[in-house]
Amino acid sequence: MTNVLEIRNLALGYPGLTLFKHLSVDIHAGTTLAVIGANGSGKSTFVKMLLGLMDPLAGRLTWPSGRPDEIGYLAQLTEFDRRFPIRVRDLAAMGAWRGFGLWSGLGRAGRDRVAAALDEAGILDLADRSLHTLSGGQLQRTLFARVILQDAPLILLDEPFAAVDQSTEAHLLSIIKRWREEGRAVVLVVHDLSSVLDHCSHALLLGGGTATHGPVDEVLTPDRLVSQGYLSESQAAWMFRGQANAQENRAHV
Amino acid sequence: MFDLFAEMWSFVFMRRAFVATTVLSASVAPIGAFLVLRRLSLAGEAMAHAITPGIVIGFVTAGLSVISLLVGGLVAGVGVAILTALLARKTILRSDASLASLYLIALAAGIFILSAAGSAVPLKSFLFGSILGINDASMMLVGGVASVTLVAFAALLRPLIVSTCDPIFFEAQTKRPWLVDQGFMLLLVLNLLAAFKTLGTLMAVGLMILPATAARYWASTITGQLILGFAFALASCWIGLTLSYLFPETPSGPAIVLVAGSFFLISALFGPLGFGGRFRKSAASKNLSTDQTYTQERTQ
Repeated sequence: MTNVLEIRNLALGYPGLTLFKHLSVDIHAGTTLAVIGANGSGKSTFVKMLLGLMDPLAGRLTWPSGRPDEIGYLAQLTEFDRRFPIRVRDLAAMGAWRGFGLWSGLGRAGRDRVAAALDEAGILDLADRSLHTLSGGQLQRTLFARVILQDAPLILLDEPFAAVDQSTEAHLLSIIKRWREEGRAVVLVVHDLSSVLDHCSHALLLGGGTATHGPVDEVLTPDRLVSQGYLSESQAAWMFRGQANAQENRAHV
Repeated sequence: MFDLFAEMWSFVFMRRAFVATTVLSASVAPIGAFLVLRRLSLAGEAMAHAITPGIVIGFVTAGLSVISLLVGGLVAGVGVAILTALLARKTILRSDASLASLYLIALAAGIFILSAAGSAVPLKSFLFGSILGINDASMMLVGGVASVTLVAFAALLRPLIVSTCDPIFFEAQTKRPWLVDQGFMLLLVLNLLAAFKTLGTLMAVGLMILPATAARYWASTITGQLILGFAFALASCWIGLTLSYLFPETPSGPAIVLVAGSFFLISALFGPLGFGGRFRKSAASKNLSTDQTYTQERTQ
């Protein structure tokens, strides 16, 4: 399996505050890595470090095939100014703006690419709408269309399912699945464990000053989720009750 | 009406004023649009005051020449911008409080030096502008700044739109995102200096902000915002200059800015994105899609 990025002995935080240290992770092409942790555990900071927007306190990042020119990125919806006077198709087209430079127009091929991305995100009929008329889910679909147009080998999604409804979440998950099948590496910050368990191959659990990484079923155990402060014991017992029942049934048999 | 224009046009200083403000409108319209969209409206106002000591020191030491105006204003403007960034980055103060502190010091220092030097230029024309003060050199300054601004905008427009709409996305996309920010601040200072003679230091930013905020109530695209902002700025200048001509005791700066203010108020009342649009918005909210309704429920 090709590594897109190799992280060794990473420590992340701010001067006087170390969020976690000694993290070594390989991010593979064609996998989906879920980043999970309580508020303030360093999830968004980790994503911003991958983007190059901040430096780690310690550690080394190695890009075996070179750092990609384009890294797909979706910020938290709360960080976006919805009053900006721009239409849906133009916001999505920003994903391809490096391709057509400072001066030239999109051209027919470019317009077709934008239309295809909007269609895949399920919002082609909203292409000429202004941003301030969109719902949270429609805006998130527009930003997904922008990531599609970035056509990047590594895609970082910061809380992509916050404030979107179930059908939008299912649609966006299908796009993520396609990215994985195309061999792209996807890193997503999420809070909903059920979407992680069903759709992610690997997990990175942050909290309690440590970072644990590995396949989802090895990392997201009730004990780890409790010890790293993500769930209380009662929450973990309720969430993993199905698993406990199955073990109990097996013991009876 | 025609007689009035023929009479105004017969004076050289009025012809200069009309030409200078027409060119100025084309130059400040894009600056104003992005000041508003980047939520820097008040920072623009503060910067207009911050360049005062530079202009005053230039005036006191080298007279009221275009070169002294340009050098003094640029040094003060860039100096305040750098100091603001330093204070915001290295101390507890945020950039708005840093800039507010520095511009107040700068404005007070400028007025103090001007008064102490016993200036031959009346304070009123310094603060509020004078259409009588537009000479050949001032026209060259306005023309030069407008040319630089429009060429720079042609090159910077796409990065400016991306960095304004989604700054984090832009930072992730480019190696030197600060180039766009600093380039924009430099254009702002240059345009404030170009507008100084006609509008004065206190009113210069008015021609940038008010046409842009008025346009914001009508335009739902950047192109619309830029074109409408220019139209409002141009109309404000022409009507404002006429008012200043009809009432000779009134400085041109406040006359132009008051007209721009009228456009703003009318737009706020009747523009589709102002109060006028609220009714349509509430009507539209009755037809909320299930997507929106469900999102609202989840976020409550």
